[in-house]
Amino acid sequence: MNYLEELSRELAAHGIGGRTRRRILLEANDHLRSDAAAQERFGSAREVANSFAAELGAQASRRAAVSAFAALGVAGAVYAGSFVSLGFAGPPSETLAPALGALAFAVIIVAPQVAFVAGVLALARALRGRHARTIPTRELIVIRRRTGVALLFGLLTMGALSLYAYEFRSVLPGWWLTLTYTSTAGASVLLALAATPALAASRVRPQVAGDAGDVLADVGVARFGDDPWRFARLIAVAVGLLVWLAAAVRGDPFDGLIQGVFEGLACFGGFAVFGRYLGLRR
Amino acid sequence: MAEALKGHLDSLILAVLATAPAHGYAIIEELKLRSRGVFSLPEGTVYPALHRLERAGLLASGWSDASGRRRRVYRLTRRGRRRLDASKSEWHDFARAVDAVLA
Repeated sequence: MNYLEELSRELAAHGIGGRTRRRILLEANDHLRSDAAAQERFGSAREVANSFAAELGAQASRRAAVSAFAALGVAGAVYAGSFVSLGFAGPPSETLAPALGALAFAVIIVAPQVAFVAGVLALARALRGRHARTIPTRELIVIRRRTGVALLFGLLTMGALSLYAYEFRSVLPGWWLTLTYTSTAGASVLLALAATPALAASRVRPQVAGDAGDVLADVGVARFGDDPWRFARLIAVAVGLLVWLAAAVRGDPFDGLIQGVFEGLACFGGFAVFGRYLGLRR
Repeated sequence: MAEALKGHLDSLILAVLATAPAHGYAIIEELKLRSRGVFSLPEGTVYPALHRLERAGLLASGWSDASGRRRRVYRLTRRGRRRLDASKSEWHDFARAVDAVLA
């Protein structure tokens, strides 16, 4: 096997294929033909392939995180618009029937929060290392997972909004149904488009040593030492208090207390369940 | 030296291409020439940087056929030139400060 064949195999092993691989091989071939002694200075096929994967993988993953966040921003506006306009349309008095409508309602409450948190964390991590040419493989995986979860839950939210509209179509006005169907479809297309670069980035597999850090590395707060659980508890309490305060301002402190406790527990539970997968804790 | 050089590789590539468009091999040769042989990287590491800089919009490239050989020729974009100017300015400030301390 000659050098170029080996390089081709290593590029494929690192997840670089198609036009990019063909172009790299043509350039390498031209380089090696320019100078018979260049092969020694070129570096091993594995090192060169890994350099490509490390540099292009980091760049692609960062871009995927930014694109995902932009698409989530549009989905967030659709979500907020649907809720605000539902107030004018007159929300259904009984949200627990039909069963699919109740399920859709539950997803509408939970999924956007997961999407927002995962999207913000993916963006934070992508921007944190934006000047670095490469990112440790473990950190790259964290960015990709966060981006994927954000997009998945964003799509779930849009799907649930549509389902909610469909299930309550008999009691909701036509203009709200049309608005919700079209806006959620548009936002879903954007989210699916943002998933394309994320999937492409996830195929590139570099080997770069280094640690992924945890949620404390995301927020850059030193006062919590090395205990992300302490930080998670504080955030859960803060979220619960905020929800309770918002309800108290609306004149509904008792329900607000229940909602606040639920939100705080959900926040801490989310950290416990998804924390390791999303790189929030080690 | 190689590790220190990697931190400045982008600026050095942009600076070489500010003079004239060039293909990968010529860029590496020009880097060696201008640095009087001091900047000698594993040559394969320059190509990933070229691809990344192109994807970042700092370089543009196209195939050229010269004397029967197909070569990818890179040139600086307007954005790349702005980045180079900023890098030069940062480097001059840094070098002046280090000089002042060492002196």
